[in-house]
Amino acid sequence: MESPTSPASRLDFYGFVDRMRRPAATDLFHSIKSFLVSLSLDEPNAEEDGSRVQTFFAEMETAIKDHPLWADATNQEIDHALEGLEKYIMTKLFDRTFASSAEDVKADMEISEKIGLLQHFVRPHHLDIPKILHNEAAWLLAVKELQKINSFKSPLEKLICIMSCCQVINNLLLNVSMSNDRTPSGADDFLPILIYITIKANPPQLHSNLKFVQLFRRETKLISEVEYYLTNLISAKMFIINVNGHSLSMEESVFQKHMESARLGSHIFVDSSSSPQGLSTSTSTSGLHKESDTEGMLLVIFKTESLTPAEVKQLHELYRQVVTRYKLKTNELWGTNACPCHCNPGIRNKVPGLPGCTTANTLCWKMSTHDLFMIRLGILLSAEQNSKMMLPQLTTT
Amino acid sequence: MGCSSSLPANNAGAVGNINNENSATDSKNLRVKLVLLGDSGVGKSCIVLRFVRGQFDPTSKVTVGASFLSQTLALEDSTTVKFEIWDTAGQERYAALAPLYYRGAGAAIVVYDITSPELFNKAQYWVKELQKHGSPDMIMALVGNKADLHDNRCVSSQDAKEYADRNSMFFIETSAKTADNINQLFEEIAKRLPRPAPS
Repeated sequence: MESPTSPASRLDFYGFVDRMRRPAATDLFHSIKSFLVSLSLDEPNAEEDGSRVQTFFAEMETAIKDHPLWADATNQEIDHALEGLEKYIMTKLFDRTFASSAEDVKADMEISEKIGLLQHFVRPHHLDIPKILHNEAAWLLAVKELQKINSFKSPLEKLICIMSCCQVINNLLLNVSMSNDRTPSGADDFLPILIYITIKANPPQLHSNLKFVQLFRRETKLISEVEYYLTNLISAKMFIINVNGHSLSMEESVFQKHMESARLGSHIFVDSSSSPQGLSTSTSTSGLHKESDTEGMLLVIFKTESLTPAEVKQLHELYRQVVTRYKLKTNELWGTNACPCHCNPGIRNKVPGLPGCTTANTLCWKMSTHDLFMIRLGILLSAEQNSKMMLPQLTTT
Repeated sequence: MGCSSSLPANNAGAVGNINNENSATDSKNLRVKLVLLGDSGVGKSCIVLRFVRGQFDPTSKVTVGASFLSQTLALEDSTTVKFEIWDTAGQERYAALAPLYYRGAGAAIVVYDITSPELFNKAQYWVKELQKHGSPDMIMALVGNKADLHDNRCVSSQDAKEYADRNSMFFIETSAKTADNINQLFEEIAKRLPRPAPS
């Protein structure tokens, strides 16, 4: 399968942009522009935007097929133009359509937190993965494919990350069945591995990515095999959302105990190996140790729900450190104007102190569990304490 | 497991080209989403592998993934039916996810094992689920697999046939091991599919 960053695929896109600049394409160019303007006049609403975008794609498909610039074009060339169109439109609409509602941001955080807990105790046998299919190397490869999902802004490119992950799993299944003379068990083997990979990967903004692909990938392309594998990741997400003792073959009380100790687990942040794309927040062991202590303390505070002024001050100090660290890392990586949570405008807008996005880079900032927690803490604090105390504003420091 | 394990070498493991999905349905060339339901161990994927392998033509572009397979069947009336076969995980813990898979399916195959009354009961559970949540015009087939193990039979054909009739399903017993009735199963489903009115 073609990588979304391969020269051929870039050529597609720039070929499309080039053609759009020709005088003969003025009419198409205007259609695109007026569509984007008309959409911008209404409040963002992912579902409504989705159906308007799909209608527009269908209209443009007809327009391109009938257009003199594509008069002698093959079906494939027309398809390339439509891929270019999808990428262009969705890059323009990305901030408006991706994880743009508070509900989406919340769903993403909840899933990510839940996976963070499940990572501590869910093992392959809980999901019926037979021993013969245990292959850490192949699993890691699949994990990495899935974690690339936020590196791209177009629905096709995101979908390719999902498909590549599934392909790694399929290759594993076929290799094992061929070398062991074992009958492939189809979905009985595939789905459990995909769920396990999803838990290991904790892919950034899983809910929003799935929703985005479902709503904005051209409908005529979201069929057949692609639809099947997308459905599998959707069902992995559903399984994780609804997971309980029964679905992992353990007593509910045991399950709850596991979840609770994962929540309180002192090593909650040490497991950075499961998110190799994430920027490790600490490099030294002493740093990790310190953060674990911090986490324990924060949980105690949140449990009692009564904050003394000194504790609030302490929390603010921690929060300030996180923000500072993000600013520093951002500057290191992308210069002073880059946005640390470019991939999540929803968070960006809610967290005071984070610089706004002024560049359009496609790199993804994957936050660690710890930092997500701290940012959420910042949101909670600013909501609860907004009248009593201002959060430190760091943009001026 | 009830079927041998050789696989077509062609295109093994490849997830198909993401951009190559332009087969339209017209009155002569149908495309149907078919979902497979049944407990793990009843031989769901064996049935499909046998079907795909039986029809296997090394020059055809059959994608052999582990759980999604497609195969085109040519019928006597010169129509072709492209089956897109969606396998589902049969383990109990994944049962609640099945509706995500059978949504929009034109056909469903519910498989049980003729040597296990328990799995026949499980098949009845799937039939009820499909009736409750599936599309009302879905073609449903009840399949008793492992018919080669007749010495160990625990579910009589008569009972299963009666149950299928009561639920307006098509019933057949197959053996993925000997390939008995595998093609007949898919041909029968193909014949029963509603034909779009010729335009």
